[in-house]
Amino acid sequence: MKSNITLIFEKGIDEELQNYIPEMDIEVADLKEIIPQILLRNDIPIPNVPEIEIVRHFVKLSHKNYGVDTGIYPLGSCTMKYNPKICESIERLPGFSQVHPLQEENQGSIELLYNISKFLGEITGMDGFTLQPAAGAHGELAGLLIMKKYFEHKGIKKEKIVVPDSAHGTNPASAKMAGFSIIELKSNEQGEVPLDHLEYAMQGGDVAGIMLTNPNTLGIFDRHIKEITQIVHNNGGLCYYDGANLNPMLGICRPRDMGFDIVHLNLHKTFATPHGGGGPGSGPIGVINDLSPFLPEPCIISTENGLVCKESAGKSIGRIKSFWGNFGVIVRAYAYILALGAEGLLRVGKIAVLNANYLRILLQQKYKLPYNRICQHEFVISDKNMPNNITTEDIAKRILDYGIYAPTIYFPLIIQGALMIEPTETESKESLDYFVEIMNKIYEEAKENPEILKSAPHNLPVKRLDAVLAARKPVLHD
Amino acid sequence: MDFVPHDRKTITEMLRVIGVADIEELFQDIPKDLIKEKLDLPTGLSEPDLFRHMEEISRKNKIYTSSFLGAGCYYHYIPSLVDFVISRSEFYTSYTPYQAEASQGYLQAIYEYQTMISRLTQMDIANASMYDGSTALAEAAIMTTLITNKKSIFMLEGIHPEYIEVVKTYCWGQNISIEITTEDKLLNQLNEDVAALLFQSPNFFGDIEDISKLVKHVREKAPNCLLVQVMTDPTCLGVIKPPGLTDIDIFVAEGQSFGISPSFGGPGLGIFTAKKKYLRKMPGRLVGKTKEINGTREGFILTLQAREQHIRREKASSNICTNQALCSLAALVYLLAMGRTGLKGIATQNFQKAHYLKSKIGKIPGYKILNTKPTYNEFLVKCPSIDSLIYQCKQRNLLPPLKISKYYPQMKNTALVCITEMNSKDSIEAFIQAAQVALNNKAEG
Repeated sequence: MKSNITLIFEKGIDEELQNYIPEMDIEVADLKEIIPQILLRNDIPIPNVPEIEIVRHFVKLSHKNYGVDTGIYPLGSCTMKYNPKICESIERLPGFSQVHPLQEENQGSIELLYNISKFLGEITGMDGFTLQPAAGAHGELAGLLIMKKYFEHKGIKKEKIVVPDSAHGTNPASAKMAGFSIIELKSNEQGEVPLDHLEYAMQGGDVAGIMLTNPNTLGIFDRHIKEITQIVHNNGGLCYYDGANLNPMLGICRPRDMGFDIVHLNLHKTFATPHGGGGPGSGPIGVINDLSPFLPEPCIISTENGLVCKESAGKSIGRIKSFWGNFGVIVRAYAYILALGAEGLLRVGKIAVLNANYLRILLQQKYKLPYNRICQHEFVISDKNMPNNITTEDIAKRILDYGIYAPTIYFPLIIQGALMIEPTETESKESLDYFVEIMNKIYEEAKENPEILKSAPHNLPVKRLDAVLAARKPVLHD
Repeated sequence: MDFVPHDRKTITEMLRVIGVADIEELFQDIPKDLIKEKLDLPTGLSEPDLFRHMEEISRKNKIYTSSFLGAGCYYHYIPSLVDFVISRSEFYTSYTPYQAEASQGYLQAIYEYQTMISRLTQMDIANASMYDGSTALAEAAIMTTLITNKKSIFMLEGIHPEYIEVVKTYCWGQNISIEITTEDKLLNQLNEDVAALLFQSPNFFGDIEDISKLVKHVREKAPNCLLVQVMTDPTCLGVIKPPGLTDIDIFVAEGQSFGISPSFGGPGLGIFTAKKKYLRKMPGRLVGKTKEINGTREGFILTLQAREQHIRREKASSNICTNQALCSLAALVYLLAMGRTGLKGIATQNFQKAHYLKSKIGKIPGYKILNTKPTYNEFLVKCPSIDSLIYQCKQRNLLPPLKISKYYPQMKNTALVCITEMNSKDSIEAFIQAAQVALNNKAEG
């Protein structure tokens, strides 16, 4: 039977296509004189595909994909906001896109990196910044290595990190990569960090600190945040702020003022750079003065002779990535901050929270919200009490049928059948109302026609795919 | 400007539905003294003002007519259709394809990327991407310690110095020891406790190593030591023998050369491949082909997620979540546009032009080519005066080669020259002229 899939590799023709090779304008030698035959390859099993076939193939594939430009993308903790087109044009300016990372005449890049560090410092309250990390998790790793180095420098052995059970999965994974073991803290019935348990955990003595996202993954701002950071500090620990959920805090409240010592930001979330289908992102980290000497190198500093790049700070954890970080992403974020300014950024925080609460109030009429109180950027509903044993996966797949993307599912792990919903500030009321209408319709279907949910999706290029088969017999290429 | 689509009336209406008087009330959980008064940031800009401002900054970076600088970041021609495809907003405004059925387009593209990279490298499996070449190498080092349960890594000199630094940083985090050595010393130093040998070829100085020989020697001396190869400009694979044919265990590379602009060194693309038997220790996302649960059609899905942080948390093989997806899409389109003929053509042209320049430079009195092994598009030149050569290049609007003392202070007056298919004969002649004129000036101190 013929497959429903046509891979681009089937579109090759038997013709030597050389559209993209410039003319050879020098005298050529026999290749065998340049490089011994034994080092050469015989064939390259890659087809020659005419340009029109490539273009049509990818336009077709794009029709089978969904982005923020298509419609609401309520993926919780991912902050899928609109990506301004002007930032794309700016990133493509030759003075940014064609600059070599090792060229000397780079004042534009250096100035931009320095300025955005100052802006991010004002936004978070932090003193020193590095822009090297390529994504949030990469920033987490860098931040934790800074913690490790700090304690090593002080001659204190610290081997554990406290991570609440509501944390993003990257937190414990990053702590492990930095060589720490994890103490998991169970959230209390308000979805917050239990102070007595934290106090107990910190008293072990070998705890380097805590990783926290606030508002947390339930969308709840922890009312005792000052006490939490105080407890950690009193016990000689450091506080790490996971900036994945910073969007609702823009212009409202700063991680430094909450008592944090290290913060990472996801420029691809809070600062509107495109998610690109899963990257490239950018995960700068900011630290308080005491930790600045440990930042990855190189650092840009301001001197009497202008901005200079400092290669080695002595105490630095070293390099975390080659060159300067994902500069193209940083350029977009810088343009975004300049476009919005102080007023615009404040409006981001406010409207993100307005939109989330509007959805929460309308959805709670039918769906169960385990933590139903005023939320910040996101909130979580559960499949508990759904009619006819309808699961979160069924709901998500049915949402797709109505032409919109599904929320984050089965996360946070502390809620049974979680659907984590973050609308962001760039969704209109009409768009939010449509999402509610669909969700209500799905609830009615769950009661009256559960089969249509259990077998969803129906209107997409494929029906529900078999994840178990994919993992049991991995087919990773043709 | 901002990008909020509400008018004032709508906001009032939404507040009424929520049942609060104003937006401030929604921040009631935040202790009052934590509320920030006002950010000390500039006022927002309109689009034309923003564009003008950014253009002014961009002009403070110099753009040259031709480049002789590589060292981990390369100028290759990018076919127009690459930007066309990655500018389709169904791709670039999407996120990691968690909902497979609504993301078949991107998932198929990643599957095709994995296929493309497997075919190009002849390695069994390729993942969906890492951040860049340096972090791919660091993750490969860590992966070998997970496979072998050993905590010692050897690296050959000639790995990009910034990559060495990154590997050191990652390994320090996990108490993995690192030894940097040379090929000559290596065989005496290798022992049963070594998890892997990491090496680069073509290396940072341009040398193409005889990998088959290296592999044979290592396997004889330490049969359980894994071999990890890294490459900074994989366009050479259009001509040279792929790592899959030389028994390499893990092959990683920086994929920026495949259709991604230099962009001050990022974003690039971490290419990550390995032998099939190491599949379950791989870091990063993988896309697999599967079938409908209740149907016959085939489709694509993120798979083997039990290795990943969002499922396994601290037991994951890596913490990576967001990768460089759009860059892998660019690489896929680039490699397709080139096809086997183009890939061979580009690699051949890089070999030929470098060879041409090498022989010309080598004939100028006072200049000496330091490489004794075959080279691809980069080579080392000992010069009478590197500073003078750099000055003369800039005078001719040529981006000068790397002054290698930046990384190796003992290597004075030495240039790492890079030349690609982008260098026309005119620019090559201009460089030769710069080298001739630079002869009589004073040397680097």
